[in-house]
Order: sequence, then structure tokens, then C-alpha cells
Amino acid sequence: MTEPLLSVRGLTKDFQVGTVFSRRRVRAVNDVSFDLPAGRITALVGESGSGKSTIARCLARLEQPSAGQVLLDGEDILRTERRRASRAYRRKVQMVFQDPFGSLNPVHRIEHFLTRPLVLHGHQATPEALRELIKTVGLTEDMLQSYPHELSGGQRQRVSIARALAVEPRLILADEPTSMLDVSVRVGVLNLMRRLRDERNIAMLYITHDLGSARYLADTTMVMFAGELVEGGDALAVMDAPAHPYTRLLLSAVPDPERAGSYDPVERARLREAILNPTSCPYGDDGTCSRTEPVRHIVGEDDGQPHWVRCHLRAPASDIARRVLKATDRPDGEADDDTEKAETTAA
Amino acid sequence: MEAVLEVSGLRVEYRGDGRTVVGADDVSFSIGAGEVFGLAGESGCGKSTIANAVMRLLKPPAEITAGSIRFQGRDVLALDARELRAFRWREIAMVFQSAMNSLNPVLTIGEQIVDIFTTHERMKKRAARERAGELLELVGIDPGRLKAYPHQLSGGMRQRVVIAMAVALRPRLLIMDEPTTALDVVVQQEIMAQIRDLQRELGFSILFITHDMSLMVELSDRMGVMYGGRIVELADAKDLFANPLHPYTEALMNAFPPLTGPRRELTGLFDAPRTADSCGFHVRCPEDRSNCSTNIPDLREAAPGRWVARSPEGGPR
Repeated sequence: MTEPLLSVRGLTKDFQVGTVFSRRRVRAVNDVSFDLPAGRITALVGESGSGKSTIARCLARLEQPSAGQVLLDGEDILRTERRRASRAYRRKVQMVFQDPFGSLNPVHRIEHFLTRPLVLHGHQATPEALRELIKTVGLTEDMLQSYPHELSGGQRQRVSIARALAVEPRLILADEPTSMLDVSVRVGVLNLMRRLRDERNIAMLYITHDLGSARYLADTTMVMFAGELVEGGDALAVMDAPAHPYTRLLLSAVPDPERAGSYDPVERARLREAILNPTSCPYGDDGTCSRTEPVRHIVGEDDGQPHWVRCHLRAPASDIARRVLKATDRPDGEADDDTEKAETTAA
Repeated sequence: MEAVLEVSGLRVEYRGDGRTVVGADDVSFSIGAGEVFGLAGESGCGKSTIANAVMRLLKPPAEITAGSIRFQGRDVLALDARELRAFRWREIAMVFQSAMNSLNPVLTIGEQIVDIFTTHERMKKRAARERAGELLELVGIDPGRLKAYPHQLSGGMRQRVVIAMAVALRPRLLIMDEPTTALDVVVQQEIMAQIRDLQRELGFSILFITHDMSLMVELSDRMGVMYGGRIVELADAKDLFANPLHPYTEALMNAFPPLTGPRRELTGLFDAPRTADSCGFHVRCPEDRSNCSTNIPDLREAAPGRWVARSPEGGPR
């Protein structure tokens, strides 16, 4: 695989909560490492509160991570640009937010939203440039003169995408871009994102709890649980052969009348309990999870992408193989090089 | 089976200055005792209009211009203000869209639930508080949370509180307007399981409104698909899902990327809005439906219990 556009290594984010007297730390993201290659859509799935959006906000430089590295073109941006991101960074990395109703200022015309990024980042905001932009996202020219309230949710989200595209970014962070849209326009926005990936070779981080859309849109899917990545790999492979109990839990929660066995709330409650308290893993684990951090194990390979999972049960049976993986994984909790190692294994 | 709710020929118009929009047209369906009836469709298709009409919550410019709504034999549209007060919540209760935000942020959960009992049942405060605690237990929340404010609860818990409030007076019919749209999949399944349990226990009927066909099929016995203010297909939920007869039903099902099978390109639903007098969907209809170009046809019974709005010459595939 080619050099990734953006690499995240050991990203950790703590939040302080509570009053002065009862202050405590909540770890929203714990030691997360992954790569975002150009021209590929990487989906980050998980339930509410798993830390998905915190990752996006850290990468968009809206939050300062507590620890870790974010490498853009091999340069650690957390070191070179403390706190506030420079214009140069924003020129490369743009964000699309969840709520198209809240992310466009109601007093401005659409034209304004597209002119601003062009001017701020030193482009010429010519009428042709604006027309070109609005057409790229499948809207018509006359909408440039509209106000946000005159557009539907889907059209507004397209404007948000056009605004992100204005600076010709290399990476777009999309945080649940379709979850507030009506069904009738959701697929349209997903298709637009797919087209942008193919035509402009843009890397995307697609954050969602809608597993169906992740399967539809993404090349790579990563599953996040309680601030940590637990499984990752080719989008179809992860959905069709989930290896981690949490991934299975998520999948079992998606309504699907065609699923073989019907959804069983008791079974799922048991599974959920088991995942929250890893001592009683339903798959015959002996409590290893509670004693040591599970490391990444490769369970398969699809399309040149390793399918990995952090679950003791998937540890290779032979001791020798285990030792090899341990050596590369560094059991002291630093999983920094996991992805690189995984890639060398795959190659 | 005796019908709890019978809606027939309902037409709702939104009358603006010089322009009238038909929110619902010729909508007829019935819900039996203990039955779950689903209404599916995209935004603006009229599903919420129907729910509000049944609850008599429509306000001008909305106006019911034709049809009838009967609840256990009583004419809902003829109820006066005093009767309505007794009718709402005791007979039919509703869980609103974005129910999470429908709790009052400056009152505790307890105060809001107690309010139901003191208002409708004229209960004493203390007895009402006891009932409120039982009610929370019913939806799996610790009664100690009665003292909590809405912002101290998670989205899923708030939704449960709202559902508990809706079933507080043991209504015969519960209307749920997109009850889980704002929640993630895991919480959504928990809420749905909760609703099923409650329904088994209390035996009410449900009018379930959502745009998520898969979710609806999992819960509903029978369902109707709405498009442009009209019901275009009405059938047993499983039959309808297995073999949709109307092209719109099929399109709505395809609007959700599937979790199994090969990955294929999906198309969104028809983007242009339906004009006053055209189906708007006949263009992508697989068969020739020149008749539909002027209006959505009336429902026809294609098979026993299966109704579909297609021109007669088409026939079921």
C-alpha cells in the first residue's frame, strides 16, 4: 500500500469532568492508531459515546489530544502546530458536521459559504469557481442566491460538502453526515461522497453508527468501543465475518427482517454485559481480557487489507506464532506500530 | 377482530394564502386490539399528519376536510374540548418525534410523571409519586432517578421515561412517531425490546410511524406505506417486505444500504416533489402507468388483505 495521507499513532484524549471539588478524568479515546490513505473512505463505527466524534474533533484540531501523534505527510502536526491549527492544515483537512441545520449561518446566502473558504485560503472567488463548486455537489446555480432555510436538509448537507471542497482538501472528516437527513436524500449524499473519492482521490473518515451505510460506502471499517479500536479491516469482511463480540453485538442491533434468527433481547443483554465486564466473556474466555490488554491479531486478509481484531480468543494457537505477534506488538500497551506491522504481515 | 381505531377516507388540507397543500388524502386503515400497525414513508408524506389528526392535535392552517376517525365506536372528530381532555392520554397516548427533547428541562422526571396522575386521576401527591416510581421500574429505570433532571439522563433513558409517561394511564392505543430516530442502533434495539415487553404486558395497540422499513417490519403486524399523502400499499408487514407490489415501497426499502449480499449502487428516492396532480412516481414505474401520471390511483385489493395503489391494468407482478 502507498504511504498513508494521515497517520494517527497512540491518540489519547482525556476530559476533565465534574466541579472543582469532585474533578475526575474521563478517557474518551485511548491509544488509538490508524492510517487514512488517499482515495479511500475509512469508516469509524460504534455506538454513541464510544469516542468516534472525539477522534474527528482531535483530527480537525477542535480538541487538543492528551497524547499521541497525528502525522500528516509524515509530519507530526501536534508538535508543529500547538492548539490552533494553521491555515495550511485546514487547507488539507476539512470537516463536514452532523447537523446541516446548525452548521450554516441563517443570515447568509449560500454564495457566502462558498466564497469565504475560497478567499481565506487564497483562491479566486470567481463566479465560475462558485458555479463549478455548486455543480460538483449536484445543486443548481440559482441556489447560490438562496438562504439556508430555503433548502432541504439534504441540499444543505451538500452545501456543507461544497464548502469543505472549496479549498481542495486532501482529507474530509465527515461526522455522521447523513444521520439527520431524511431517507429520501441519504443515499444521494452517500453517492456524492463516493464520487468525490473516486474523482478527486480524497481521503475520507466517515463516522457513523449506521453499519449499513458504512458497508455501502467505506473501503475500510474500524469498530470503536469505549474509546478503543477493537476490530478493523475491509468493510465487507468486517461486516460479513465479524470477529469481535462487540462487532457482533452492533450488527445484531441493526434491524433486519431477513436475518436468520430473530433478534433476541435476552441474548443481546448477556452479550452486552459480557463486553462491558470482560471477565465473563461468553465465548469461553478465562478472563484474560481483564488481566491483560488484548493485542491485535490478524484473522484474515481481503483486498490486500489485513482484517485484525483485538480479542484473546483469536490469538494464534501455536506458541511460536504468539511469540512473534507479541514481539511486534509490544505488550507495554504501546500499540503505535500495530498498523505498520499489520501491513508488513500482509505484504 | 374488533377495531380499536378506524380511520376512513381522511383528508387533511393545509390552507395557506392562495395555496392549499393536501397533507393526507383518502387515508383509510384500521387497527385491531393489541395490533401493531405501521405507517412508513419519507418526510412530508403525511405520516405525522395522520398521527396528529388522530390525536386531534391539528391546528390551523391544517383542516380535516373529509373522512372520519372512530375510536372504539366513538367519533373522535366530534369530541368537544372537555371530552378531548379526558380522551387524550387516557385513551390514546403519543410518543413524539424527538421525544428526548419533549421533557421539561427545569422539572425533575418525578414532577413530570406525578403531574400526569394528579391531573388525570386526581391522585394525591404521595400516591402519585409511588405510582411514578412503579412506572419507572416498568421501563427498567431505577425509581431513585425520579429526582433526576432530564439532562442527567442519557438519550435512551429519556426516551424510556417518555414511553413510561405515555403508558401511565394504560391507554388503549399508543401512537409512536419516529420514537428511535435520534438514537444509535444499540439503544434503539433496547427501546424496541422494551416496547414489545410493555405491549405484551399491557396489551395496548400501537400506531408506529417511521421511515425505517426494516425496523417497522420487525415490530409491526400490518403496515401501510404512505407517499404524497396517500397510502400506496397496505398489507401484512412480512408479506409486504418480502414482496413489495408498489414501486415506491421498493424504492423506500432500497433507500437503506443492506447489511448482507453484494455491494451494489443504490439510488435515492425520487427527489422532485410531487406536484398537485401527478403521482410523481409513475416516471420510474417499471410498467407503463400512463394513468398514474395524473394522480396516485386508489387502493385496490390485489390479494386478500393486500392493498396496492396501482392502475388496474398493471396487476400484481
